[in-house]
Amino acid sequence: MLIFTLRRFSLFFFTLLLLTMLSFSLSFLFPGEQLINLTGQISASPEQLAVLANEYQHHSGLLGQYISYLKHLFQGDMGYSMTSHLPISNEVLNRLPATVELASVALLVAMFVGIPVGFCAAIYHRKAADNLILTIAMIGYSIPVFWLGILAILVFSIQLGWLPSSGQISLLFEIKHITGLQLIDIILSDSPYKWQAFQDATRHLILPVIVVALAPATIFMRLARSAMLEVLDTHYIKAAKAKGLTFSQIIYRHAMRNAIIKVIRDIGLQFANLITIAMVTEVIFSWPGIGSWLIESIYQRDYTAIQGGLIVLSSFIFIVHIIIDLVYAALNPLAREPRHGT
Amino acid sequence: MNLIDIRNLSIKLQTSTKPIFAVDRVNLTMKEGEVRGLVGESGSGKSLLAQAIVGVLDEKWQVDADRFHWRGNDLMRLSAEERKAIISKDVAMIFQEPMACLDPTTTIGEQLEEAVDVEQLTGYFWQKRQQRKLAAINLLHKVGIKQHEVCVKSFPHQLTDALCQRVMIAMALARRPMLLIADEPTAAMESTNQGQIFRLLASLNQLKNMSILLISHDLENVTHWTNTITVMYSGQFVEAGTTEQIFNQPYHPYTRALVDSSPKASRMIPNKSRLMTLPGSIPTLQHLPIGCRLGPRCPRAQQKCVHAPKIKNFHSHQVSCHFPLKDNYS
Repeated sequence: MLIFTLRRFSLFFFTLLLLTMLSFSLSFLFPGEQLINLTGQISASPEQLAVLANEYQHHSGLLGQYISYLKHLFQGDMGYSMTSHLPISNEVLNRLPATVELASVALLVAMFVGIPVGFCAAIYHRKAADNLILTIAMIGYSIPVFWLGILAILVFSIQLGWLPSSGQISLLFEIKHITGLQLIDIILSDSPYKWQAFQDATRHLILPVIVVALAPATIFMRLARSAMLEVLDTHYIKAAKAKGLTFSQIIYRHAMRNAIIKVIRDIGLQFANLITIAMVTEVIFSWPGIGSWLIESIYQRDYTAIQGGLIVLSSFIFIVHIIIDLVYAALNPLAREPRHGT
Repeated sequence: MNLIDIRNLSIKLQTSTKPIFAVDRVNLTMKEGEVRGLVGESGSGKSLLAQAIVGVLDEKWQVDADRFHWRGNDLMRLSAEERKAIISKDVAMIFQEPMACLDPTTTIGEQLEEAVDVEQLTGYFWQKRQQRKLAAINLLHKVGIKQHEVCVKSFPHQLTDALCQRVMIAMALARRPMLLIADEPTAAMESTNQGQIFRLLASLNQLKNMSILLISHDLENVTHWTNTITVMYSGQFVEAGTTEQIFNQPYHPYTRALVDSSPKASRMIPNKSRLMTLPGSIPTLQHLPIGCRLGPRCPRAQQKCVHAPKIKNFHSHQVSCHFPLKDNYS
């Protein structure tokens, strides 16, 4: 298990290295001066530029420039936004937690709805329930997210007036920024209206989470269904039947765990997809997350922000990947051992 | 009293055009304490028959029989649940590829513990966990695994095939079955391990009077361990009798060919001579011949063979052939 973890971390390290290379090369590929793209200081005087050039070792070779860029990155300096002239790292720190909150809640919802429903479909294979679930999964997967988001606002916020249409929390509540994760901040705060604030934040969360979770949930349904069908067809299920276990015992003790292992592998892959959906949803619901910020900075040609956001968002996706891989290894004894041959 | 008595058991696969009889009217009787071999080529329906007895066949197969008695009880009259209750209490089965038959994500100990019969445990519920553990370790000792501590904690992929098969046997023993169905328990195993597994089964038979239905494609090997043998070909009953009768005086041309095809040390065979074989190969399920399915390959086939033969009984030596080789031995 230790070796497995170390291997994951070395993979993480090298992937990040490649990502920084990509981001570094972007500063050359974007139009304009490379140094300005990298630092985001568009209105710097020639003297300031000279200082920056010295700092980023602009006169040494490419490797030297790259290493000094890495150094800045590790110090948390990702330059300044070209439009707002604020440090990128501050912006990211302010914006990322909202996205983390939205994406992780959506992922959990998608998992806890999609996987059990998929298992049900497999258990009632070739019956009405199975067909119904497959149809729903197909429809849910085919609905484009931007359309679904607008439709949800139209129906639930405007016509029915049940849920708020935008933002993370009503402006009435003042919550101190501690972790950045709204729900946790509310619990940590000592406001007398804590409970009301919590309710309000949850109400704000419901619509975007449903919109983000729908497509991944339908994918999980189909993955879980096929995984369960595969497991139910194996020899050990037949042997368990011959052992005299009842059907529910077989499902709960043997089939579920093996099927979940097969699904979890793919959850990591789907997470990148989920983040993309979350970015679009953030724009629709004016969610103050990093996704909408990144899309905005693309519109405004804020090259420094694009580079910084790219690195942060992709390392977030990769961290989730690694966590899921570790969960996978914890559940599956076969994955923990080092592979030789085969 | 017969332990199990099956008459005309058929297993059919419903296709779009016509049903295919993968197993066609097979008889099987076993006495208590008997070790019976069920021999046939691959695809002769012996595994299907065994799985039909235990009731673990997929839904796509339809099973029906004229008679299915278990220790005098007519199981055909019972509902599916009652049948499953009786069968899972008294009949256990072990499969080929033991490693694939153990849940790869659960430890051996947990899998053994869940096989332990609840009725055998006494005491209050807080004592039961401990008792289950003890029962599981006892089962491991019974099949000759002494290092139970290591074994209980390991996962199936950490054990060898032979050890896994022992664990499977231990699980089968958990309910103290009357009948153990062993479906090619030693396929793809080394010969020393094969011998160990067979010796273990033989000792279980002798010590606990447990009947064993030993399924195999290897007639030669099976004869060392069985009292009686049933031979099947392409889903049809061929011949049944004591091991001596089948091995020394087979009445059916197929059994004759099967015995002749295996080289024996006692018989002198000149170098590079061909072994006795039947022409052709076993028919596929889509193209089964009518009547006796051996017909197209049989050296003694005549016009009559397009009708399925009736079973003839010579002193408890049953043979399903129009022209048995009875007169050859006198």
